[in-house]
Amino acid sequence: MNRLFLPAEAPVDAALRGFALAHPGLVRLHEDPLYVTARDRHPGRRVGLLSGGGSGHEPLHAGFVGRGMLDAAVPGRVFASPHNRQVYEASRAVAGEDGVLHVVKNYTGDRINFGIAAERLRADGIPVRRVLVDDDLATDDAETATGRRGTGATVVVEKLLGGAADAGLGLDELAEAGAAFAAASRSIAVAARAQTAPGRGGEAFELVDGEIEYGVGIHGERAARTVERPDFEDLVDRMTQQVLDALTDASDTVLLLVNGLGATTLLELYAVHDRVRHVLGERGVSVAGQLVGTFVPALDMSGFSVTVTSLRENWLDWWHAPALTPAFPVSETAR
Amino acid sequence: MTVTVDQEKVLRTYAEAARTAHDALTALDQLSGDGDFGDNLREGLDGVEAGLDARPGEAPFAVAAGVFLDEVGGTSGPLIGLLFQEVGRALAAHGDGREGWAAGVREGLAAIQRVGEAEPGDRTMVDALAPARDALDGGAGFADAARAALAGARATADIRARRGRASYVGERALGAPDPGATGVALLFWSLARVAEPDADLGSVADAVGWPAAS
Repeated sequence: MNRLFLPAEAPVDAALRGFALAHPGLVRLHEDPLYVTARDRHPGRRVGLLSGGGSGHEPLHAGFVGRGMLDAAVPGRVFASPHNRQVYEASRAVAGEDGVLHVVKNYTGDRINFGIAAERLRADGIPVRRVLVDDDLATDDAETATGRRGTGATVVVEKLLGGAADAGLGLDELAEAGAAFAAASRSIAVAARAQTAPGRGGEAFELVDGEIEYGVGIHGERAARTVERPDFEDLVDRMTQQVLDALTDASDTVLLLVNGLGATTLLELYAVHDRVRHVLGERGVSVAGQLVGTFVPALDMSGFSVTVTSLRENWLDWWHAPALTPAFPVSETAR
Repeated sequence: MTVTVDQEKVLRTYAEAARTAHDALTALDQLSGDGDFGDNLREGLDGVEAGLDARPGEAPFAVAAGVFLDEVGGTSGPLIGLLFQEVGRALAAHGDGREGWAAGVREGLAAIQRVGEAEPGDRTMVDALAPARDALDGGAGFADAARAALAGARATADIRARRGRASYVGERALGAPDPGATGVALLFWSLARVAEPDADLGSVADAVGWPAAS
C-alpha cells in the first residue's frame, strides 16, 4: 500500500499552490516556472537570498521564505533538483542591488542546475554567488570527490544568512559568511524505517527488527552500515558526541537542531532534545538557540537528525534577528 | 580578409548532423548513460530550427541558447545551452569570424567547467571543447579546430569516466567514445562545413567514428 496521499499528476505543483494559499500574507506563488517569493523584505537587504532543491523535505525550502529569511524558494520534483530555468527566473525576480545568493545543498544535480542558472545570471550582468551546505557526517569521506551531503544545517544557514542579509552585508561578505556557517555545522541522522518510495509505494528500503540505519540520508540513501539498535540514551549520546567531535574548532556556544525525518513524533523529538542537552551540558557546551521539530524531513521516514552549529562572535544576533516565515518559529527570534 | 560565418547556417547544419548521428549517439549513450542524449540533441536542434523560423530577426545563437537552457532535458542539454549562450555573446562582441568563435568557445568552455567541474580527461564534453579551444586560441582555422574536437571526442573511448553519468558504469563504456563529447564535436564539424566548405572533413558518420568500421 502507498501511504502517501498525493495527486497522481504534478503533486509538487499542487502542494506549492496549497502552501501559497495557506500563507497568502507571506508568500507569492509563481507557476511558470514554479517558485515562490516573499511578499515583504527588509529595506536594508542588498542581496536576494534564494534556495531550493528536491521536494519531500517540507517545510524546507518554501517554509522559510519571508521577511528575514529567503526571498525565494525553488522546488524540484520529489527528491529531484529543480530545473535551471526555475532558479534563473526566481533569481531575476528577487535579485537585489548587489545581486543574488544561492543556498545549495551539496548534491550533484542541484550543483549543476544552480550553476547553470548562475551562468545565465552572470551573462545578464546580475552578480551571483553560491553557499554550499555540506553538513552530513555520514558522507564525510576524503576518498569521494562529491563531499558531504547537505541536510539539516540548511535551515540554520538560511536563518543566519537572512539575518546577515538584513544587516546590509554585500554579496561577497554574505557568501563568505554563509560558507563559514556551513563549515561550522555538522549533522548525523538515523532511521528506524525508510520513507515511502514516492512512485511505487512501499518502503524505499527494508530494515529488520532491532536494526537502525545509522547515517541515513534525507533521500533514503542507505548508511554505510546498518547497526543493531542501541538503547535510546546510548544512541543519542553517540550521535551527539560524533557531531561535537567533528567540529574541530568548536566554540562553547552552539545552535542546536533536533530534526524529525518525517514520521517521528514531537514526543520523540523532545525526548531526544532532552538527552542531547544532557550530553552538551556534560561537555560544557551551552546552547544559545535551538530548533526542535520537523524542519528537513525525508518524506515520511521514521528517524531524526542532530545538527550542531558552532557559533562565532556576532552570529547570534543574526539568529535572533526578526524573521516572519511560514515555518521558522517566531519564538527563536523574539528576543 | 576576415572570414565571417553564417551563424544560422551553422546551426541548421548542426541540426542536420544531429539527425544523421541520432542512432549512433543513442547507442553510445546506452552504453554509458541513460540513452537519451541522441534524442535530446536532435529534438533540441529541431527546436532551434523552429525558433529560427519563428523569430528570424533574433541572434541565432541566442535563440539556440534559450531552447537548450530552458527546454532540453538531461544535464548535457543545458550545458550545451551555456556554450551557445557564450558563443552568441562573443559573436555579438567580436564579430562572426574566427576571433569571435575563439572567444565564444573559450568562454563557453569556462562556463561549462565552472558548472560541471570537469577537467580534460574526465570523459565529458570538455574533452571535445578543450582541444577546439586550444586550436582556435593558437590561431588554427575552423577545419583544424573541428579536427581537434573530433580527435578529442574519439580519444574519450579510452578513458574511464570520473564525472558525468558514465562515472556510474566504469569500465563498461570503455572502447566507445563519450556521446556528449561526440555530440559537441559535431558542432565544430558543422562550423567548419559552413566556414570552409572545401576542407576535407569526411561525413557525419566519419566524424562520429562509431561503431568503428571493421
